[in-house]
Amino acid sequence: MEGTPGIVDDRVAGRFLVPRRAFTNREIFEKEYAAIFDRCWLYLGHASELPEPGSFLTRTVARRPILFNRDKSGEFNALFNACPHRGALVCRERNGKSPAFMCMYHGWTFGADGHLMTLPGASGYPEGFKTDPQKQMVHVPRMERHGDFFFINFSKDGEDLATYLGEAGDYLNLVSEHSASGMQIVGGTQEYAIRGNWKLLTENSFDGYHAACTHSTYLEYLKNANGALGATPLEGIGIDLGQGHALVEYTAPWGRPIASWVPLWGEEGKVEIDKIYADLQTRVGPDRADRIAHKNRNMVIFPNLVVNDIMAITIRTFFPTAPDYMEVNAWALAPREESEWLRKYRLYNFTEFLGPGGFATPDDVEAIEKCQQGYAVGGDAQYNDISKGMLREDGASFDDEEQMRAFWREWERRLAAAEA
Amino acid sequence: MDDKLLLRLRVEDLLFKEADLLDSWRLDEWLALYTDDAYYHIPPSDVDGDTADPDTSLFYIVDDRIRMQERVIRLGKVGAHSEWPRSKVRHLVSNTLVERDGDVIRARSSFVVWRSKDITSDAFVGHYRHEIVERDGNLMIAGKTCVLDMEALRPHARISIIL
Repeated sequence: MEGTPGIVDDRVAGRFLVPRRAFTNREIFEKEYAAIFDRCWLYLGHASELPEPGSFLTRTVARRPILFNRDKSGEFNALFNACPHRGALVCRERNGKSPAFMCMYHGWTFGADGHLMTLPGASGYPEGFKTDPQKQMVHVPRMERHGDFFFINFSKDGEDLATYLGEAGDYLNLVSEHSASGMQIVGGTQEYAIRGNWKLLTENSFDGYHAACTHSTYLEYLKNANGALGATPLEGIGIDLGQGHALVEYTAPWGRPIASWVPLWGEEGKVEIDKIYADLQTRVGPDRADRIAHKNRNMVIFPNLVVNDIMAITIRTFFPTAPDYMEVNAWALAPREESEWLRKYRLYNFTEFLGPGGFATPDDVEAIEKCQQGYAVGGDAQYNDISKGMLREDGASFDDEEQMRAFWREWERRLAAAEA
Repeated sequence: MDDKLLLRLRVEDLLFKEADLLDSWRLDEWLALYTDDAYYHIPPSDVDGDTADPDTSLFYIVDDRIRMQERVIRLGKVGAHSEWPRSKVRHLVSNTLVERDGDVIRARSSFVVWRSKDITSDAFVGHYRHEIVERDGNLMIAGKTCVLDMEALRPHARISIIL
C-alpha cells in the first residue's frame, strides 16, 4: 500500500476525498476481508426465516457458506457448512426442515448443533473418535441477535453486538415497531449481482443527492401514474450514528404502508391506514408513531447491512467476490398481521422502485457500473469527492454526503487498525 | 389441418411477433398486443415460479396494465439510464405448448433472451406462461409470467429490458 493515497478529510476547508484505488485495488480488497468482514458483526438473517424447531437455511456470508438453523427445542445455531471429514458442504438445500444433516460424501450425519451423531464404518476409527471436538461441525465463533435480526462475527474476540450497533440499535427497533405482532420476511428473495465495488452500493443505498437525476423517471412515474406526489416534499437530514453506521431520515412523496396513505390505495384503504396509525400511536406514543409512520429512513449498518424503510421495507446485504464484483441479496420485511390488501400494495410498492425489475434500482446499477468503469482512467484522476454539506452549519441535509463520510471514516479507521 | 395444430401456429405467430417487437424496441406496438386488464410478472428464483403469487411473495416484476404502460413510457426516456443508450436485445422463443382452458388459451414456451450493452452481455433463460384470449377473431395477450430457470440473477444486475 506504500504510496497509496489515503482519504483526505479536511474539516476546516470542507474537503473530503476518497482515493479511487479503494474501489479497484486487489490488495485493498483482501485487506477489507481481514480488517472488516472478518472482524465486524455481519447480518445473517431474520428469525422469521426459521419459523419452527428444525427449520434451516443455507446462506453465503462474506464468502463463507453458513448453515443457519433451529434445533428441536427452538434454539438458533450458525454453523460453518462444511463437513469436518473432507470439507464437503453438508447441507446442499436452500432451506427446509430437518432434525439432522447428512454429508452426501461418506454419510457422516450431524445434529442441528453440529455434533456428529453417526458415521458409517465407525469400527474403523478408535474409541472416542466420534466425540473428538475436531470431528464436529464448527460453530461460527459468535452469533447474537438484536430483536429478530441475527448477526454473526467471524472473530472470537471484540465488542458485543449491542456495543457494536450503538445508536443504530434503536433505529433497527423503529423498523421492528412497525408491527405489534412482529415483523416477517416475505417469501421470495431478490438475488442479483453488480459489476462494481461493494462500497459503491453502500454509498448509493443512502445517497439522497442522486435521486433527482438518477431517478427522474421514477419521480415522473409517481407524478403520472400513482397519484402519490402530493404536498409532501423530499426533505430531511443526514445522521452519523457513530462507528460507521449512518442514515438519512426524510419525508417523501410516495405512500408508505404504515400510515402514509396515497390516493392510489382508495378510500377503503384510507380507513385501514388510519386505524393502523391510531393503533401505532397507542402502542408507541404519538412522537415515535409520527417518526415510524411518516419518516423514511435509509440506513447502513457498517459495513454492508442496508435497512431501507421507504415505500416498503427492504433488508439488503452484499458481499464482494472481487474488487469489481458483488453479490446482492434483498428481502422484503413486513408486519405479520398485515391484511392481504395492504400486503399486496406493499409488494406492489416495493417492486415499483426496488430491485432488478424496478423503476429505480436498474439505474442505480447503471451508475455503480459506470463509476467502476470510469475508475479505469487512473492517472491523475485519483479521488472521488464526498464533501457535499461538510461545512453546513445547521447540520447535514439528507442530500448531503455526511452519512457517507461516516462510513468512510470507519472504513479507514478499521483498515489502519489492522495494519498497526 | 387439425384445430389444435392450427391454434399452436396462431399462438406461435403471436409469440414471435411479440419477440420481434421487443427486439426492435417497438414497445408501443408491443403493449398493443395486451388486453386492458393484462399483467406482466417475473417471480424470483427461490420460489416456485409456476405457482407463486405476487400478492404474497416478493417478485422482480409485478406490473398491471397501468404499470406496463409506465414501463414503456419510462424506457422511451433518456432518463432511463440503464437502457440509454439502448441494449441490443434478442428473444428466442421455442418449445411452445398450447391448451384451451375455457375462454383462455394457455401457452407455455421456452425462452432465452440476450441483452448486450457496452461491456456486458447476459442471457436470461426460462419459460413463458402466456394467457391468451380471442378478441374479435384476433389473439391478444391477457397476461405473461416469465419464470426464470436460473438460480439467481447473477451476474445479471437488472431486468431493465422487457423479457
